[in-house]
Amino acid sequence: MRILIIEDEKPLREDIIYYLSENGHKCDFASSVKSGLEKLSENKYSCALVDIGLPDGSGIEIIEYIKDKNPEMGVIIITAANSLEDKLTGLKIGADDYLTKPFHLSELSARIYSVIRRRNFGGRNTLVFDGLEIDTKEKKVLANGIHLVFTKKEYDILLYLASNPTHLITKEALAENIWGDKAEMATTFDFVYSQIKNLKKKLNEAGLTNFIKVVYGLGYKFKD
Amino acid sequence: MKLLTKTNIYTSVTTIVLFAVGVFVVFKVIVVKLDSEQDEQLLSAKEIIIKSLKEGKLPELFSSNIGEKITIKEIYKQTTSANSYKEYYENTVGEEEDEESLIVKELSFQCSVNDKSYAITVSKSLVEGKEIGEYLLGIMVVFLFISMVVLFLLYRFISAYVFSPFYETLTKIKTWNIKKNDSLVFQDTNIEEFQLLNKTIQNLTQQIKSDYRNLKEFTENVSHEAQTPLSIISTKIELLMQEKNYSIKQHESVQQIFQATQRLYKLNQVLILMSRIENKQFVATDTINLIDCIEVKLEELEDFIEAKQITIIKEFNTNVFKDLNPVLSDILFNNIFINAIKYNIEIGGTIKIILNTESFSIENTSNRNKIDKRFLFERFTKSSTSGSLGVGLSLIKKIIDYFNWQIAYTHKDGVHKFKIYL
Repeated sequence: MRILIIEDEKPLREDIIYYLSENGHKCDFASSVKSGLEKLSENKYSCALVDIGLPDGSGIEIIEYIKDKNPEMGVIIITAANSLEDKLTGLKIGADDYLTKPFHLSELSARIYSVIRRRNFGGRNTLVFDGLEIDTKEKKVLANGIHLVFTKKEYDILLYLASNPTHLITKEALAENIWGDKAEMATTFDFVYSQIKNLKKKLNEAGLTNFIKVVYGLGYKFKD
Repeated sequence: MKLLTKTNIYTSVTTIVLFAVGVFVVFKVIVVKLDSEQDEQLLSAKEIIIKSLKEGKLPELFSSNIGEKITIKEIYKQTTSANSYKEYYENTVGEEEDEESLIVKELSFQCSVNDKSYAITVSKSLVEGKEIGEYLLGIMVVFLFISMVVLFLLYRFISAYVFSPFYETLTKIKTWNIKKNDSLVFQDTNIEEFQLLNKTIQNLTQQIKSDYRNLKEFTENVSHEAQTPLSIISTKIELLMQEKNYSIKQHESVQQIFQATQRLYKLNQVLILMSRIENKQFVATDTINLIDCIEVKLEELEDFIEAKQITIIKEFNTNVFKDLNPVLSDILFNNIFINAIKYNIEIGGTIKIILNTESFSIENTSNRNKIDKRFLFERFTKSSTSGSLGVGLSLIKKIIDYFNWQIAYTHKDGVHKFKIYL
């Protein structure tokens, strides 16, 4: 996928580009409203990450431009907490999703996948790995052709991991993805662990032993 | 004690003491005066007697108005020319001294008239001292009473008119709120001290307000400005974590930096949220049924409730609709329920939720001690076992204040109860 990152903070932008490139995306960047609009007029992107607070204006301008010229393009707002009233306002102005800084790169990657999938009507809705197929439209998982039944949480975790196939996912990022602002509960990581255990068990039983590795103390990896 | 009550007491005590001293002095002066008056009368009686004797009048004919009792005895020879006084009580009824007894003063002298010598005594009774005292006491009480009434009325007048700017100032400071009110404006007064007081308070509150504003802006700026560096740090760490060839030591360090950053980031989020609430950035409202709100939260937290095997007791009898900002009400109930679950006993605890049109209460069993009320909603009170208690509760308090609700906390037999008056 081709993604445009409009963010004026250089180190942050570089990390995002690095991470997303590792996930197989082709990334362009802009650091202002002006250069962002230029990039948008020159190329076609599947998704844009837009910071609201830019040095020469508001990212809202960019979103309005996208909605006008290229409405099928996905838009994710990445912004400081004080720039917009809340997520709702972000979605109202036409964004598909909204992330407040700081965010987990794995979360960003998962959101991008989700936005692209939603945008890609009738297109590719299936993630395919060695012997594992995840049909995101039907929410169906096939292991070597066998239909596996997962609970909703197990499925969400699997999808989250699959959206970051080569990266380490911290247990904090995973917990936040599942429980949101309830992730601070002391028992959260035990939950994550037990969900992962069930998930692995089901995959193992279906003969898929290569997926989901525990990285001691830090988190999990979908595959090596 | 009220200012006027206190001054009233002082002036009353002073008045009473002054009256008592005054009465005592007056009494003494009168007694001395009466005494010398009596002596003079007795001496003038002596003159009259001597004069009469010289004129040859018989002592029997002496009118009684010069003395109450006159005795004249012929003696052989005058032995002294001195006057001698004697005081004694005379009973009108019995011999014994009682209330009716009179003080009688007696003058004895000798004189020689027309070659005859006489020993003469003249006596005169005195209005009794005690009686004078009683009169004076009576007068004092009457005057005291009158002056008390006058003082009371005077203070009423003073408090109503003279002190009214002072009390107005007092009421204004009492209701002044650094977050809400504008600068204090006081009513004009021509009393210098009150002018000074008002001016000083005005200056002070202005100073406090500007300090508060600066501090608030500082905190806001810090937390807002911290977001970008925090984002950079957390993404950098996330990338660092992707490295595979770490030693155990490096691995641990990265993990610890990551966790510390997470904490910092959560803290910052709360700070930003709080300042946004304070700055009233959550204006939009929806009509929310609190029962739905509670049910949704219980469902969202189902995993944690089940894990601790917590029994939920619900006492709802009616739908309660409120116009609230949905974001804030979500955060509020989230924090309330998270607290009730997080600080519940290890396993098999209870959470009781009561909702009616007036109030919402939540009770949870807990091993924790009663929370000190002074620090209950303070932002960064650290409890012995968790650092996040203070932030959660102060966030709850902040939202409740924002909604104009009230919260009360009680602790009894290991059950913590928060009651919110809607």
